[in-house]
Amino acid sequence: MLEILIHGAVSSAIYAMLAVGFTLIFGVARILNLAHGTFYALGAYGAYFFTSHLKLPLFPAALLAIALVAVFGVVVEKVLVRPMRRSQLAVLMITLAVALVVEQALFLTFGSEYRNVPAFVDTKFSIGGVDVGGQRLLALGASVTLIALLWIFIQRTRLGSAILAVSQDPEAANYMGIPSDRIFSIVMGISAALAAAAGVLAGPFLTVQPTMWLLPIVKAFAIVIVGGLGSIPGSILAALMLGYAETIVGYLISTSWTEIVSVLATLLMLVFRPAGMFGKRAAF
Amino acid sequence: MSALIEVSGLSKHFGGLQAVKDVSFAIEPGEIVGILGPNGAGKTTLYNLLTGFIPYDSGSVVFKGRDLRGLAPYRIAGLGISRTFQLCRPFVGMTVFENVIVGGLGASGGGGSGLDAHAHALLKQVGLAGKEQLAVETLSYGDQRRLEIARALAAKPALLLLDEPFAGLGSGEIADLSALIRRVHADQGLTVMLIEHKLHEFMRLVGRVIALDFGEIIAEGSPEDIVRHPAVIEAYIGRGDAEAEEQTNAA
Amino acid sequence: MFDKRIDYAGALGFIAFMAVLPLVFGGNYLIGVLTVSVIYGIWAVSWDFMSGLTGRENFGHSLFIGVGAYTAGFLNTTFGFGGWWSLPAAMLMAMLFAVVIGLPTLRLKGPYFALAMLSSAVIMQRLMLIFWEQTGGEEGINGIEPLIRSQLGFYYFALASLVLVTALLLALARSHWGLILRAIRGDEATCQAAGINVTFYKIASLVISAAFAGAGGALYAHYQLQVSPQLFAVVTSITIITMVYVGGMASIYGPVGGAILLVLLTELLRNFGEWRLMIYSCTLILILFFLPNGLIAPTWRRVKAKLVRPE
Repeated sequence: MLEILIHGAVSSAIYAMLAVGFTLIFGVARILNLAHGTFYALGAYGAYFFTSHLKLPLFPAALLAIALVAVFGVVVEKVLVRPMRRSQLAVLMITLAVALVVEQALFLTFGSEYRNVPAFVDTKFSIGGVDVGGQRLLALGASVTLIALLWIFIQRTRLGSAILAVSQDPEAANYMGIPSDRIFSIVMGISAALAAAAGVLAGPFLTVQPTMWLLPIVKAFAIVIVGGLGSIPGSILAALMLGYAETIVGYLISTSWTEIVSVLATLLMLVFRPAGMFGKRAAF
Repeated sequence: MSALIEVSGLSKHFGGLQAVKDVSFAIEPGEIVGILGPNGAGKTTLYNLLTGFIPYDSGSVVFKGRDLRGLAPYRIAGLGISRTFQLCRPFVGMTVFENVIVGGLGASGGGGSGLDAHAHALLKQVGLAGKEQLAVETLSYGDQRRLEIARALAAKPALLLLDEPFAGLGSGEIADLSALIRRVHADQGLTVMLIEHKLHEFMRLVGRVIALDFGEIIAEGSPEDIVRHPAVIEAYIGRGDAEAEEQTNAA
Repeated sequence: MFDKRIDYAGALGFIAFMAVLPLVFGGNYLIGVLTVSVIYGIWAVSWDFMSGLTGRENFGHSLFIGVGAYTAGFLNTTFGFGGWWSLPAAMLMAMLFAVVIGLPTLRLKGPYFALAMLSSAVIMQRLMLIFWEQTGGEEGINGIEPLIRSQLGFYYFALASLVLVTALLLALARSHWGLILRAIRGDEATCQAAGINVTFYKIASLVISAAFAGAGGALYAHYQLQVSPQLFAVVTSITIITMVYVGGMASIYGPVGGAILLVLLTELLRNFGEWRLMIYSCTLILILFFLPNGLIAPTWRRVKAKLVRPE
């Protein structure tokens, strides 16, 4: 029971990081970014590359990876996504194409074998008689901290208010002197950084191979639909639900069924309550 | 002669707002009835309720003796009610001619060569002959309005609901469109319901007026009577709509 | 009037070209490549009919392909039915899936529909792996019988199928059906107000699209003589969408050219080995930026215009 509680929390935390980034860029710029999973993958691969090939110590390697992915995200937004913004489907296509290109690049560079991202914390802890990897606990703690920091940033800082303004009405925000375009880039960077951080934290205990971008995006989509598009609290709540649902299914039935949970949840939500739990904008 | 459409006690609320409250009226075949009311009075909501786009809380709508409750919008349209929208909504990416054809495809047993000829005739009637192969995006706003009417008529409706057809048009275009509506009404014995703000043209076109305010009917009668009706005047002046008062006095 | 004659001439020329090519150049390798390109053509055309006309891009077309292929595989190996039962069975299964999945998802706006279909394809892929005892897991189903022993014979059968499907869907697209689908793309609410049962047409077009995708899947199964979960992969769907973009969205005939072109290109790039998919994906990005209207259909239209003018 305690095992489920803890492992569920870890899963939920990682999913929350992914989902919050995904819903953030959607809420602000109406972009459904299919390359979001790619940021996650690049974070993990970045940490792997910097530590094993460049022999950097772990912490700077992780930070570097996250920073580079954030920059990559901004570049993708500016160069590839912005010209396509007239059509949501065009944005979808181009972000998907980016995901495929990066997948191929990773495959060509690193091959298809599973790679090893070193863990920050190697030791195992024992909580209430349950063995938990230290890395998982770190992932949990770091995710919660980062999301909390993001929340404070959005609620308390001027830039955060600007972001909220742009998410409600980009044109009006423009008239008030807020550069919407720049905000889009910044938010994309934040979103990418969150995904990359998730990759760095989860890399040690989840699989790292070139196709690792797809399942996170399917799950992030599921979470965001269930939680309500554009709602950060919704995403967090839905991430919790999904994380625990998957863990419980994994323990009670079998691990191979866990992915189905998220997709089933999405489809059911779409059928019965398309706006999700807290959605500001319904999916139709 | 029984009424073409009979509305009884129609009500609809959105959250805390009562958009339409206990609205009842009947329209005889062949009438042109106008719906008058300030912004937010519930006129377009009324249309949406009648055509099935929004479900109503209570009341009934009976069209040609048939209760419309629970029917999907396309079924109601198929029974003989056509409508236009406040903002022109042509089918983008298609030609003028194609737009009208589609308008006629939904009607019971649509299609066949008769539809082609009918579409040509309609376009001629609304004054768009010769523009058939143009892409709708290239049309002027006035022409788009004419297209809307041609498209609505393609379904051979018994009742035509027009939602602010004169919006966005200049006075010359309004006169033309008004004449068109009168012509179509006379030629085809169509029953027309008309929401409009441009009171001058409106009053000359309609035979009877139903005035709404805050979702309720506040007055009903001939144009001349409505214009002098105290509740109507108050609805307009109470809103500070001095321009409307001038217009009602001039009409 | 004259327009149509040029179209027919073009179509006949293309068919003749495709039929004669293997006879002139010979070799099983070429026949194999052409067969694959023709099957992709069927998939691309079926995608264009629904997604090109209604504008609802389906990112999970591979779902119907896989369903068709696996149906053929099962019928043939597990149940021992002869190959000719595969095609109708595959189509029926694919149509069934289209109805079941289409009903809840077609209400969704563009990108959400696309992602919902993508998710569905991912689920199916997963399910094939989860139930590996029944489906053969990663290995899939092997030992499927070929439909027609002769390689050339099967190629001609596939080519004939492509021509049939394209002609059928072109006819539908040019009929009132096509008008309605394009109008649905324009403005659904107005279609409803015009008395059109929008839900029916959306689902029907998805079902038709799925039927032929499944048929193509069955053909593929009887060609490769094996099916695997890879058929459900995102890459398959995206490849097909790229072919349609190259061919010209909503033209129905363009995607045929797009499919053949891209399959040939992929084969030519065989020397680049692992770089193929990368080049492919980059091509997609370039097309989205520079050729949003495609290559094949606009080119054909320009050729036609030039041919008409001298008259």
